[in-house]
Amino acid sequence: MRLHILHRTTYEYDDPVTTSHHEVHLTPRDLPSQTCFVHSVTVAPEPEAIRERVDYFDNRVRYFGIHESHRLLEIVAESEVHVEERPASLILDRTAWEDVRDVVALHRNPESLEAYSFVFDSPYVRPQPELRAFAAPSFAPGRPLVDAAMDLTRRIFSSFIYEKGATGVSTPLSEVLRDRRGVCQDFAHVAIGCLRAMGLPARYVSGYLLTAPPPGRPRLAGCDASHAWVSTYSPNVGWIDLDPSNGMMADERHVVVAHGRDFGDVTPVRGVILGGGHHALRVAVDVVPVEYDA
Amino acid sequence: MSSGESCVAAPEEGSRPWRYAVAPRSDGYDELFDGDGHPRPHWERVVDLLQKLGRDEIGHRWEQAKRLLREHGVSYDAYGDPTGVARPWNLSPIPMVVDAATWAAIAEGLAQRARLLDLIAADVYGAQRLVARGELPAELVFAHPGFLRPCSGIVPPAGRYLPLYASDLVRSRDGHFQVLADRTQAPSGVGYALENRIVLSRSLPEVFRDCSVMRLATFFRTLRRTLREMAPHNRDNPRIVLLTPGPYNGTYFEQAFLAQYLDLTLARSDDLVVRNHRVCLKTLSGLRPVDVILRRVNDDFCDPLELRPDSSLGVPGLVEAVRSGNVAVANPLGTGVLQTSALMAFLPGLCRRLLGEELKLPSVPTHWCGDPSSLAYVESHLGELVVKPAFPAGPTAPVFGAELTRAELDELRARIRARPRDYVAQERMVLSMVPTLSQNELTPGHLWMRAYLVASDDGYEVMPGALSRVGRPGESLALSLRPGGESKDTWILAGGPVSTFSLLPSPSAPVELSRGGGDLPSRVADNLFWLGRYAERTEATARLARALAVRLTDQSTQSGVDPPADVDALLFALEGHARVGLPGVPPVAGSSPPRAKLLSLATAERSLFGAVFGDQAGTLATTAAETQRVARGIRDWISADTWRAVAELDEELNRPRLVSGRGTLGAMVTLLDRSVLVLAALNSLSSDSMMRGHAWRFLDMGRRLERAVQLVGLLRAVVDASPDPAFLEALLQIADSSMTYRRRYLATLQLAPVVDLMLTDETNPRSVVFQVATLDAHIAALPRDTGRPRATEQTLALSALAELRLADIPQLCTRGDRDAPPPGLLQLLDRVGALLPGLSNALSGAYFNHAAVARQMNADGPRLAPRDAKEPPVVAAMARKGASG
Repeated sequence: MRLHILHRTTYEYDDPVTTSHHEVHLTPRDLPSQTCFVHSVTVAPEPEAIRERVDYFDNRVRYFGIHESHRLLEIVAESEVHVEERPASLILDRTAWEDVRDVVALHRNPESLEAYSFVFDSPYVRPQPELRAFAAPSFAPGRPLVDAAMDLTRRIFSSFIYEKGATGVSTPLSEVLRDRRGVCQDFAHVAIGCLRAMGLPARYVSGYLLTAPPPGRPRLAGCDASHAWVSTYSPNVGWIDLDPSNGMMADERHVVVAHGRDFGDVTPVRGVILGGGHHALRVAVDVVPVEYDA
Repeated sequence: MSSGESCVAAPEEGSRPWRYAVAPRSDGYDELFDGDGHPRPHWERVVDLLQKLGRDEIGHRWEQAKRLLREHGVSYDAYGDPTGVARPWNLSPIPMVVDAATWAAIAEGLAQRARLLDLIAADVYGAQRLVARGELPAELVFAHPGFLRPCSGIVPPAGRYLPLYASDLVRSRDGHFQVLADRTQAPSGVGYALENRIVLSRSLPEVFRDCSVMRLATFFRTLRRTLREMAPHNRDNPRIVLLTPGPYNGTYFEQAFLAQYLDLTLARSDDLVVRNHRVCLKTLSGLRPVDVILRRVNDDFCDPLELRPDSSLGVPGLVEAVRSGNVAVANPLGTGVLQTSALMAFLPGLCRRLLGEELKLPSVPTHWCGDPSSLAYVESHLGELVVKPAFPAGPTAPVFGAELTRAELDELRARIRARPRDYVAQERMVLSMVPTLSQNELTPGHLWMRAYLVASDDGYEVMPGALSRVGRPGESLALSLRPGGESKDTWILAGGPVSTFSLLPSPSAPVELSRGGGDLPSRVADNLFWLGRYAERTEATARLARALAVRLTDQSTQSGVDPPADVDALLFALEGHARVGLPGVPPVAGSSPPRAKLLSLATAERSLFGAVFGDQAGTLATTAAETQRVARGIRDWISADTWRAVAELDEELNRPRLVSGRGTLGAMVTLLDRSVLVLAALNSLSSDSMMRGHAWRFLDMGRRLERAVQLVGLLRAVVDASPDPAFLEALLQIADSSMTYRRRYLATLQLAPVVDLMLTDETNPRSVVFQVATLDAHIAALPRDTGRPRATEQTLALSALAELRLADIPQLCTRGDRDAPPPGLLQLLDRVGALLPGLSNALSGAYFNHAAVARQMNADGPRLAPRDAKEPPVVAAMARKGASG
């Protein structure tokens, strides 16, 4: 499926901002399952310094600084991405979750080592007993990882309430667990915490979701801004993307922008500003299918 | 120290042998005595010379040395005290002595260790081959919060990951030194080592001279050179700053001292800004590029954009500037990853692998529980081991297995088993003993030393000396491992002749402001301005309180009698003074209610003590404390003498709390006398010895503005309150203009001449118009954008000056209807009084650049990262947290 994505972020400040520094993760990745054809990011006012690089997780990230006084900042990212169906072989993998845990901890080939680096705590996902307790029912001894992780994904979907505004970036995971409500980013963090509590690799995926239903498909719940889900790893089939906000595996409607340990590594738009006073933030994301495979 | 008083040496001293007063209970290695109780060979000369000097003489000199340390403001916030009280630095009069051969072996081992750690860092932030080959456990990198992924792939200048390195050493029972901990990111303490040397060598010059002790200065010369060579773009004259977490950090004194000694600019995060991938210093004359940053901020706090978003100690965009190769940081960001005891378990193997050598200087035997066989060992030997967190996660103290009950051991074992990779266990060390003087008796204490290295052309140079710390005898091992306690200068005896190279200016040379005004950071200008205001305010309050105290002393014999009008007036002025809260708002707007008559002299006395010692804002004690607080923030910009004056004043008023005034009036007069003297000294120090650059200008503007604000406010209050001449007299007292008035008018007090003298007489250096005229001249001399029309601060100063110069005083002093206070005068004072705060604000806006608050933004909206000149507690807490090195 080919998707056109327009992601517009606008900050309106009450007082002038004299200096601002930003880091944005807005460029869709090139992956076996997706190709980014067209991509541009435009910023107004025009930054004094702008630089693009590839970060530790191989995401494309932009840094820019604005040093002229402004009350309005607009960042527009436009992309066109072709997304494949994920291979069906994923769900056929029968490796038991304990084997995945042990193999990843021992093997030192680059792929396995990379996966192992996602087993550990990260700033937004701190270990806590509740995570393991929540995860445990899905991880019966000897159960294949794919089944267990999928079961966990569905359980998060059914026991948490999707509620915009219930949480913010700084809401701790413990609060999300207690109140059982949040948005896609929180659910991704819960899933990551549960998988890591079992000693399994889990990474955060930031991206977009086609929410407008193609003909004959149901409409999906997603964020108005960007979407987020989780990815875990099995040595036989590689990374498996699971979307706890929709209780499903990621498919050709999920566009991957960035991988990281958690939200903090891949925040779509982040910045430090001087001045500004109160501000209004508007984020608008449009994901539109360009053409359909017959 | 005053050699004229050295006649107190006890005659029997020579025969009094050097022995511990109480035999040490520890069976640790004795640094001083051999098994037979004789001093070891390398101590003989030191002991001999100290013995000749005599303990009384040492004790006597030590009192002076302690005062010197206190007055230098040497302090260490040893336990992260939440009240932020810095503890005085405690230096032992007996040095730690190390012989040349032992030190040579240590130095060689440390240099090897530094090279090894440098290579490990290069691998961790580069290809990660060590992890891939299983030579370094993956967990020590991936689970380490100090592994900063944004810094991966950044190669520092010359590929040097560890320009600085420090190592904590202890001596085991068999007499060998071992490494207890590696300090790889922002090692602290080297400045204390230097201060120790300065004070000890000055206190015991004859001993120091005759022992051929290795000098420290060459190390600092290399340090300076290494920092300069890190500068990108081969600039000839690189600008180097020392990035400090600020005055609330425990080792702030040391940072300021080091900056001064190495001739670096001490910069806080808000002194720096990133523009176009370059780090710049905000100075009065604009942004100046910075080439090298010597940081004392922990690396994860250094950039709120890419590293810890909650940090207010960092510079947004710093990582990107480093990545662009426009600025070098020492130590490079990310080197904190080497700071884990767990790594020590793998150093022997890594050393063979990376250097092809055996590790020369062993670590304290260390077991990382993430390794299954080590875990098994630790579980079965838990009672003999010391358990520490593997990764830095807050101030977790080591746990001594031997001090735990069986139940506690089981609980600890369970915790380790649940997350083994998070724990490290080390063999319990019996620390060596060094002598120290306590109550004039020789007592043993536990020793650990921190040694310092700097990269040089051919590897590493080790500072021939160290910061030695001593745990008090009887203290448990856990306690003696804590920072704080007593410290020692460390003497490395030279094998041959000693170089006497020194970086220190000779004591008589002025240390005041060697820098040109162009590099004056805006924040420093801000603090100098406020130092001027607070110092002036303190002096005015002290003068007034003294006048009142003296009058009360005269009166106190006739208790029961109504207080005379002048006591009433002075008290009124003093209270009004305390009410004029900074930043200068006139005390009373409109007409004040009629003042109640004072009840008794006792009430007056109580009020006086309250105004001097009270805790509320505006009292002498709190104003003096504020003065010191502001001065602390610019410790490196004010002379040692000025600092001593500030510190002494604060100590007088706030240390030995005679509080809530149970002292006598007589003591009060003495105290206030001393305070006024110290303040006068403080003010003349700055006016006489400061270069007439922008630094001085801001200090003086603060003083002038404060004086003007105070005078206008008080004049207005007095004129409004009472026509009694006693009130005018009080006013003259405050303004120190009593004598001038008498000389000029000889006669009784009248409103118009008093007002003229204090408000509009340009020949009186205490008059309001004199202050405003001086301000106007200062403002004209400040750097400014010449393209602009007249700046706000210029306009305001000019308006105030015009008001005062055009005023017709005799006419303005005409009383109103029904003998009301003269309305014209009140209006004039109101107009001038309103212009002055505006002037202060305009200066802030134009030069201090503090109004802005840096905030964290992301798609979820902004979170406040407080960054404010007035340092809210959260910043103070962070300052302690953000730099533990």
